[in-house]
Amino acid sequence: MAHAPAMDGNRQYAHHFLSADHEFETSKQGIWLFLLQEVLFFSPLFVAYYVFRGLHPADWHAAAQLLDWRMGALNTVILICSSLTMALAVHGAQTSNKKKLVVNLILTLGLACGFLVVKYFEYTHKFHMGIYPAGAFTYEGLGQYPAAKLYFSIYYAMTGLHGIHVLGGMAVMLWVLKRAMRGEFNAHYYTPVEMTGLYWHFVDLVWIYLFPILYLLG
Amino acid sequence: MAHTSHDGENYLNHEKGLWSWLSTIDHKRIGVMYLFTVLVFFFIGGVAAMLVRAELFRPGLTLMTADTYNKMFTYHGTIMVFMVVIPLIPSAFGNFVLPMMLGAKDVAFPKLNLASYYVWLAGALVATASLVVNQLDTGWTFYTPYSIRTSTSASWVLLGAFIMGFGGIFTSLNFIATIHKLRAPGLTWGRLPLFVWASYATAIVQLLATPVLALTLFLVVLERSTGIGIFDPKLGGDPVLFQHFFWFYSHPAVYIMALPAMGIISEVIPVHARKQVFGYWAIALATFGIALVAFVVWGHHMFVSGQSELANFLFSLITMFVAVPTGVKVFSWVATLYKGDLHFRMPLLYAFAFIFVFTIGGLTGVFLAALGSNVHLTDTYFVVAHFHYVMVGGTIMGMLAGLHHWFPKMSGRMYSEGWARVSWFLVFMGFNITFFPQFIVGSQGMPRRYYDYVPEFTTLNQISSVGAWIIGVGFVLMALYLLHALFRGAKAPPNPWGAATLEWAQDSPPPFHNFDKDPVVTHGPYDYRTSH
Amino acid sequence: MAEKHGNHHKHHILAPKIIWTVWALLLIGTALTVGATHFHFGAVNYVIGILIATIKAALVVTFFMGLKYDSNENRVIFLTSFVFVAIFFVLTMSDLFFRGPVEFDNGRFLAAQEAHAAAQSSDPWISTPELVAKGKELYAAQCVVCHGVNGKGDGPAAGALNPKPRNFTAQAGWVNGRKPSEIFGSLTKGLNAMPSFATSPAPDRWALAHYVSTLGPSVLKDSPEDLKKVGAGNASGGGGGEKTLPIDLAIEIMSSEG
Repeated sequence: MAHAPAMDGNRQYAHHFLSADHEFETSKQGIWLFLLQEVLFFSPLFVAYYVFRGLHPADWHAAAQLLDWRMGALNTVILICSSLTMALAVHGAQTSNKKKLVVNLILTLGLACGFLVVKYFEYTHKFHMGIYPAGAFTYEGLGQYPAAKLYFSIYYAMTGLHGIHVLGGMAVMLWVLKRAMRGEFNAHYYTPVEMTGLYWHFVDLVWIYLFPILYLLG
Repeated sequence: MAHTSHDGENYLNHEKGLWSWLSTIDHKRIGVMYLFTVLVFFFIGGVAAMLVRAELFRPGLTLMTADTYNKMFTYHGTIMVFMVVIPLIPSAFGNFVLPMMLGAKDVAFPKLNLASYYVWLAGALVATASLVVNQLDTGWTFYTPYSIRTSTSASWVLLGAFIMGFGGIFTSLNFIATIHKLRAPGLTWGRLPLFVWASYATAIVQLLATPVLALTLFLVVLERSTGIGIFDPKLGGDPVLFQHFFWFYSHPAVYIMALPAMGIISEVIPVHARKQVFGYWAIALATFGIALVAFVVWGHHMFVSGQSELANFLFSLITMFVAVPTGVKVFSWVATLYKGDLHFRMPLLYAFAFIFVFTIGGLTGVFLAALGSNVHLTDTYFVVAHFHYVMVGGTIMGMLAGLHHWFPKMSGRMYSEGWARVSWFLVFMGFNITFFPQFIVGSQGMPRRYYDYVPEFTTLNQISSVGAWIIGVGFVLMALYLLHALFRGAKAPPNPWGAATLEWAQDSPPPFHNFDKDPVVTHGPYDYRTSH
Repeated sequence: MAEKHGNHHKHHILAPKIIWTVWALLLIGTALTVGATHFHFGAVNYVIGILIATIKAALVVTFFMGLKYDSNENRVIFLTSFVFVAIFFVLTMSDLFFRGPVEFDNGRFLAAQEAHAAAQSSDPWISTPELVAKGKELYAAQCVVCHGVNGKGDGPAAGALNPKPRNFTAQAGWVNGRKPSEIFGSLTKGLNAMPSFATSPAPDRWALAHYVSTLGPSVLKDSPEDLKKVGAGNASGGGGGEKTLPIDLAIEIMSSEG
């Protein structure tokens, strides 16, 4: 491309910005705008959850009992810890501490894997019981609660969509980790680390709501 | 701002070859690519429309079977909405003009901009792939439960629309960040061209509404593949909930289509009337008023869906408020024209067409917003006529105003005014001949989406079909004179209309980097005393 | 903003002490959420759960995501999303939760009016003590003015009427007959000075008919033919839909009115 990058001190930035800071602030706003659309992206599932909960409170309550709150709590703790390591990774980048950055990124990735492993056991356990989304639902213990199968449809949709976001976050983290190990980030330039952090905290944020409404308060 | 010579170098000849276009991250080239792709889809959707009108030329089964007819209007609707009217102005003209109007060298995220184009194109191709796989027959609204049950390729089109949605989301994100962060020094909010305000509001609406549609359509795909049940009454779900989700996006989508067209009109009228725009802040704020109201009126598409009476009441009431900001805009445009030095060039002619047609579209909307008359008119040709007056009359007339306004800037060539006027006359007259009779047959009770009708409606339907073909001829003529202009047209001066916004302050076509010297803005966008 | 682009300002760096504190608070919040569900406060449980989640979310957004140190623009952007989600919720609920009673029955929705009417009085033309009691209430509200408290046709307004209102306690003088179905018919069509009560729900008219027939010297029963005459005995008939006339009766009225 013919866009020659400009230089700001020892840091280069794209030609249409005025400075490296200007580029950083713009990128950060881009992520916030992306997160705004993420909130709306999740919202129909929350609306559907509350619609059917309002119409069938007893069914909702009965269905929620089948979820193991300990698994949910474990995953909550895992995600909160991953938010911690992510924040520490960003701090490492901001203070040009490469080791801190890399170690914490690896920890975050590990915790994300842990989250998915727990989720995998939860899903397979439910599948063995015949608890699938409504169309394939074969579990018979909730016969008197016909709307319970809708609860699990929404449960799978919400946690599935969240799980996809976890996977996406992990993919981005791998890319950031690769660049971090090459020593590309320091106190002057760490935009991708900061952006990944914002996204990852948002993934945590969604789970902070999913845990109580699905596991505890059904 | 002086025009400097580039030794003839501009964004079109800066690099050569197909690959230099496909891999470009220059917002101007991406805008041109959008324009080209959208016009291809416009042609396909237009052919479907001509066939629909041909079938309706006589009552009874004439050209195609009922099934084919269902597929034909589905493709017309789906292509025109998702691949033409929504991306047309924001993605094509927005991309080309917006950064230049801001005095920026590019959009905030140029690579994301190119990615948006390919994401949108991929979605469009997935959706059109269903044309060859197994055509869709649900109508563009994909209402459940039929869209769950139909054996046609709903999943393809739904996935396609899902993917296209992300193209739109990324473009909006890009524009908002660009407007916030990349304005030239001196370009205060009060000096922003009104097209920028319109693009800004459009981008906000698109960013907020599209994700809801994307997820909803994905849920229908899941409904078809695994039976998730949320919209399926057989599994305890609620099909009307789908309509809520769908219209939460699709009503604001009407404003995603209309707002940028209004932005173009706000741009074209002061330039060609040689007058400071009347009510700058009124227009800018009305833009946001419309954007906000857009989100709280979606239920007026659902008055006969079995929706609660409370919701019907609320939505009907709020819908009436749409008329206020729209009225403010029309008033401001007319007041700008008043005692202006009118130059009846193509952009202004199309702006007149816009005001005429859009006002009829808006006024007939009031009939539909009123609960009582809505029950009578729902799903009749009155509705078809209404939204064509709004969407075609609004968006397409606005787009044509923009196309004729910026064509010299984009191509560096002038088109033939004479042929353009003939084409304008055909398109404008053809449009009214096509759709005005539909108000009448609709109010007499002719339902939409049927291949057949009772013989009493024959005359009006034949007038309508003839009108459609007149529009077709008008567009073919337009394609011819624009193509001619592209290769043989006179060279365009940098500022043929004497406009005061920044995109005209450079050569036509603009240089690769937009500006040789970073511009500093010292006057308002419609201040014609300080520009030549 | 555009004018400030040139300025280099330091990015905010979140102190590790704050990071660890927020983390600890989030864990405590999680423990509290779980703990609270073991006490049964009813609906308050829900409020507590959502409240704690919101506090946790606010901590994440404020510190981890740094919105406390960020620009107003970004704050407005993120918070805007919740405004629109709220609009989405409220207006969708204004439909879903206000449709009137809709019941969920083995995978099928039934319009509740049907189920409701069926459960309450599936055959209002058959007299039950409940119907008679309901009829008595309706009588006190709508009929006493003319027909009198005891049904003797001696209400306060009776003097002004000619012919006199029917004396329900007497055997003689009934124009249309004394069977409940016949009384129902008179109520539906009106008689002399008495207007038609066809706009009252059919079950109400049946209740009145049953009550009035208990005031007479003897309670007469309807034969199936009698019931058929007023359209009772089928789903859309005299007993079913609200504020509707049986079709044959409606036709009869229309033809008599010319």
